[in-house]
Amino acid sequence: MTETAAGSSQGAPHHKKQAKTGFFAGIALFFRQMIAELRKVVTPTRSELVNYTLVVLGFVALVMLIVSGLDYVFGNGSILIFTNPTEQ
Amino acid sequence: MFSAIARVFRTPDLRRKLLFTLAIIAIYRVGVFIPAPGVDYSNVQQCLAAGTTSGGLYQFVNLFSGGALLQVSIFAMGIMPYITASIIVQLLRVVIPRFEELHKEGQAGQATLTQYTRYLTIALGLLQATTLVSLARSGALFAGCTLPVVPDDSLLVVLLMVITLTAGTGLIMWMGELVTEKGVGNGMSLLIFVSIASGFPASMGQIISTQGWWVFAGVMLIGIVVVALVVFVEQSQRRIPVQYAKRMVGRRTVGGTSTYIPLKVNMAGVIPVIFASSMLALPAMLVQFNIRPDGTLPDWALWVQTHLSGTSPLYMAIYALMILFFTYFYVAITFNPTEVADNMKNYGGFIPGIRAGRPTAEYLQYVLARITLPGAIYLAFVALIPLIAFVQIGADQNFPFGGTSILIMVGVGLETVKQINAQMQQRHYEGLLR
Repeated sequence: MTETAAGSSQGAPHHKKQAKTGFFAGIALFFRQMIAELRKVVTPTRSELVNYTLVVLGFVALVMLIVSGLDYVFGNGSILIFTNPTEQ
Repeated sequence: MFSAIARVFRTPDLRRKLLFTLAIIAIYRVGVFIPAPGVDYSNVQQCLAAGTTSGGLYQFVNLFSGGALLQVSIFAMGIMPYITASIIVQLLRVVIPRFEELHKEGQAGQATLTQYTRYLTIALGLLQATTLVSLARSGALFAGCTLPVVPDDSLLVVLLMVITLTAGTGLIMWMGELVTEKGVGNGMSLLIFVSIASGFPASMGQIISTQGWWVFAGVMLIGIVVVALVVFVEQSQRRIPVQYAKRMVGRRTVGGTSTYIPLKVNMAGVIPVIFASSMLALPAMLVQFNIRPDGTLPDWALWVQTHLSGTSPLYMAIYALMILFFTYFYVAITFNPTEVADNMKNYGGFIPGIRAGRPTAEYLQYVLARITLPGAIYLAFVALIPLIAFVQIGADQNFPFGGTSILIMVGVGLETVKQINAQMQQRHYEGLLR
């Protein structure tokens, strides 16, 4: 946590200085600040990432199985009930 | 994994919630297969089998209704009107001061806002139902299919259809709220997730049959990589440290703890993508309504059709720009730095090295503006994956492993599993996520 302390960011918002610099310099500054902030982002660890990915894939597979099972039953059921038998 | 699932079902509380959710999902899927009154079911099935739907717009809406739209079933509208209504009510807070007041009022105001959302849902449902019924009547729903979808189009039957579809919208809305209240996960997102998942087997089968197993394996691999990427970004956050001052309340010391405000890299979630796609669907809809009786198009519509749909570079550029814009817009609406700073000040909290009050709000705004740009670029990238990569192998725009569906999939999956996990940990089990 200590290394992400806000105080370590170089001087936080200083728009007064920004206003004097040119347009492209402003953009360059913005991107440098963006990268500085991105460095402070806490990313999931490798094991967390693998775990969450597997959980999501498992959850999707499970829901897919359940829904296609339900769809198979209901789909065939509705064809039986609603289709006009003389047309088949 | 399997023992964990067994443990889930041994927890009586959780078992009841899961079974309740499953029951709601089952009811939802039944409704998708029951045709609306007045619809000739066998004709619809034959038209569907012929497989010439009129493209873009419907495919997008059809994806979110789980195939119900093109079947003209009683749940044809799906959960989409409810989602649109809640987004609109959230956006209206910027325009209408009364909505902002209600939002700040807390519990009671929130209840009023929910009530407004419900009315708006019914209104939107009515509008969309009317559109769908008129399309089905005129035969424009299935281009090139001459069988009548609605054989007897007297006024009474048409009215009955519109009322049924609107009632279906209301019922789905209620079911979604029931799941949020008594089941697991957020009902609205879970139902949209179910709708999307129901389309997977068909599109997978389509790839296998048209492209063979090798392409299918490759697509699956890309899909898993994209899922991992989305999980990675969804779990990334910038933690802004907050220190709470120690104070004496009576004889006890309160506070003195240090915590953090988590700012997610992608704070807006999937909403900017949904918004951008529905905005871009508007020109396609205009084209639909301007088809001349002999099937040709006016010049401008032809231009729109070639340049503002599918895979044209112009379309992709506009899409990406809109996503960038809506990400910033939505983050600005949902996260109010001044409000957070004021709250912190009231409870004696501060960010180390920054004064309480306005400087804190400015600092939060500074971080937010810089952290949102990569988030927005990532959103645009994920949304464009199906357009760029999968067009080559002939998969359609709503391919399962790209864009909106994958973002919704991961978001809902993580949220639901985390909620189940929290419930298990309450009972001292180790949970699903080790």
